Amino acid sequence: MSSNPQDSVEGGVGKRSGRWTWLSERLRREALPEVFGVAVVVLLVASAVGAVVLAGAAFERERVVEQRERGNRMARLLAAAFARCSASVPEDANDAAREWATAAGATWVRWTDAEGAVRAEWPHETLAASAPSQDRGGETFVAPVLGADHSVLGRVELAISRTGLDAQTATGLRFAAGVAAGAVVLAYLALYRRARRQLRPLAAIRRSLCDYGAGVEQDLRALAMSASLGQVAECWNRLIEQVANVKRLAEGDPSGRTADTAVHRFESRTQRRLLNALPLGVLRVQGGEKIVYANAAADRLLGYGPDGLTGKAITEAIGEQYANALLRGQSRSPREVLMTRKLEDSDYVATLRLAATAGGDASDDIVVTVEDVSRMREVERSRDSFLYHITHELRTPLTNIHAYAETLTRPDFDDEQTRKECYNVIVSETRRLSTLVEDILNVSQLEVGMARIELDDVDIVRLLRAMVQDHLAAADGKKVDLTLSLPPKAPRVRGDKQRLAMLFGNLIGNAVKYTPAGGRVDVSLEVVDEMARVIVRDSGIGIPPEEQARVFEKFYRASNAQSASTPGTGLGLAIAREVARLHGGDIWLSSEPGKGSTFVAEVPVSSTEPAGRTST
Amino acid sequence: MSRILVAEDDPHILRVISLWLARQGHEVLEARDGLEALNIWRHQRPDILVTDVNMPGLDGLELLDRIVGDRNAPRGLVVLTNRWDHREIGQKLADWGVHVVPKPFSPTKLAELVNQLQQQGLSQSAPAPSE
Repeated sequence: MSSNPQDSVEGGVGKRSGRWTWLSERLRREALPEVFGVAVVVLLVASAVGAVVLAGAAFERERVVEQRERGNRMARLLAAAFARCSASVPEDANDAAREWATAAGATWVRWTDAEGAVRAEWPHETLAASAPSQDRGGETFVAPVLGADHSVLGRVELAISRTGLDAQTATGLRFAAGVAAGAVVLAYLALYRRARRQLRPLAAIRRSLCDYGAGVEQDLRALAMSASLGQVAECWNRLIEQVANVKRLAEGDPSGRTADTAVHRFESRTQRRLLNALPLGVLRVQGGEKIVYANAAADRLLGYGPDGLTGKAITEAIGEQYANALLRGQSRSPREVLMTRKLEDSDYVATLRLAATAGGDASDDIVVTVEDVSRMREVERSRDSFLYHITHELRTPLTNIHAYAETLTRPDFDDEQTRKECYNVIVSETRRLSTLVEDILNVSQLEVGMARIELDDVDIVRLLRAMVQDHLAAADGKKVDLTLSLPPKAPRVRGDKQRLAMLFGNLIGNAVKYTPAGGRVDVSLEVVDEMARVIVRDSGIGIPPEEQARVFEKFYRASNAQSASTPGTGLGLAIAREVARLHGGDIWLSSEPGKGSTFVAEVPVSSTEPAGRTST
Repeated sequence: MSRILVAEDDPHILRVISLWLARQGHEVLEARDGLEALNIWRHQRPDILVTDVNMPGLDGLELLDRIVGDRNAPRGLVVLTNRWDHREIGQKLADWGVHVVPKPFSPTKLAELVNQLQQQGLSQSAPAPSE
């Protein structure tokens, strides 16, 4: 198709811009919130931990400085105290050392003179003098013992244990540590959940594929994931669907060809074209509910626009009652329903026959065909009507023949006049019956296209005269004036004399039949464009305009002709038109109800010869 | 002898029925359509009505519809039908107690039915004749 390249160019552009849109959409929707979320969590955790560490460090530093100052002060105070009693060491120097040490909050104290001898110590040293100061229960402070002349008399060492943090600070620190730990746990959980959620579809896909690969699961569709798994699941399911379709096509292909996508695309395009060319509507219904395919005829027949049905529910398309009867009825397939549907923008009410059959493959899809049987119904109706009229028409002469024949056999009616009357009726009714049978035969021949015409050179003038003559008696009986006008040059026509007689006979007979007493019927002949034109004009009951197009249909009788109870089969004009057309001519009419009708039949001329103008 | 109204649009059928009933000694009133028959019934009060169904103007059923139930209705009612007509209107005719004679009919049997109706003087309980 010429539109293909354009389609593909547009498709390409569309695809590119589509990809950008998709990418930016993905970034906006997924990546950015992700990065932002993680960054916020990390920042929160880092700042909480940092705050706790900084606060702790500051506290510790301040406490150490303070303790050192106190230690040094205590050492100096003790040194001053020992200096005062340096001249004479009291007996209870050790007791004094204990007292002072306890008062200063020291865990150990020692006074050493300038020579290095221990003058006092508490508690008594059990450890080696060289033991590290921290083993003495805390940090060790040293201050020189100065004499009054500022000479160094020795030194004082004392150890002060480090005191713990005060309760409020400890609580604060514990709370901060708790918050930090909580934040860490929360951050971990958030990240874990996020990761798990993202990995879940992948895990499901892995499980499905393993099942399918191991042959545990045969149906691809069973591998579909729950839609709650998000976009990945959606894409995965679409992929599964497509693969399943290709697989189904491949399996359904009788030639055993594999799923060659190009071949399938070609085939499905060809099939679609074929299906769209059908006058028969075809629907494919999935799961007894959703229409997954509808061809053009189905859309049209059910009153939808192109592709209007696909995706709709069958109950919506044809109504719940019909859908139930069609898809869920008791009888085995094919199930059929008849429904009527008025087409939009027209008064035409179509009769549709819907039939449902199984889809013909592994799926439980159902194929529904939609057929417009209006014409068929119309034909059936007109055939019924024909049978009704024919039966009625046959019964009337039969009744007469039966009754009059029975009369003839009875001795009560043996007078000459009655017998003669009986004979006459029997003869005329037999003729009527025979004409009727002849009409029926003719029309059935014409209907099945078996009619053959014996072409001959026909003197149409003589034929018309004979026809008019035949109907004069009937016209006179009804007091209808029947005339014939002929042109100066009489044409001859190539035709079948008997069938032409039937044609003109029917036209003249109808005109006389449907013209009331006192009316007139004029038959005339003209030659126009090498065609002999026979015009039959009457002043009869006429034909309603809306029925004029139908009077040439077989078995059709105009409503006013029926109500006038004029006998007729509805075949005469159908025969007349067929005969005219078989001769390469045609027939038409103009009419006004109550004023009369004019029928014109024309057949091709073979030659023209002079003839006198005649009036009968 | 009875006064019999015959309503029939086909002149030959009308004529042969008249011929037979007159020969039996009945007085025959002829009508060519339903309206004419209604008119004759109103003025001449026939004992028995024999009518066709398909007639111009007022058809046989419409005629019966106007007559049945009237206190001056004929004692005997006979309808000449085509089989197709009968299929559609059979129940209605049965409800009215009308005797149905399908066409083509035997004039001998029609005459016998009319004589039977005349003798019974009552049409409602009489069984319909079988053809």
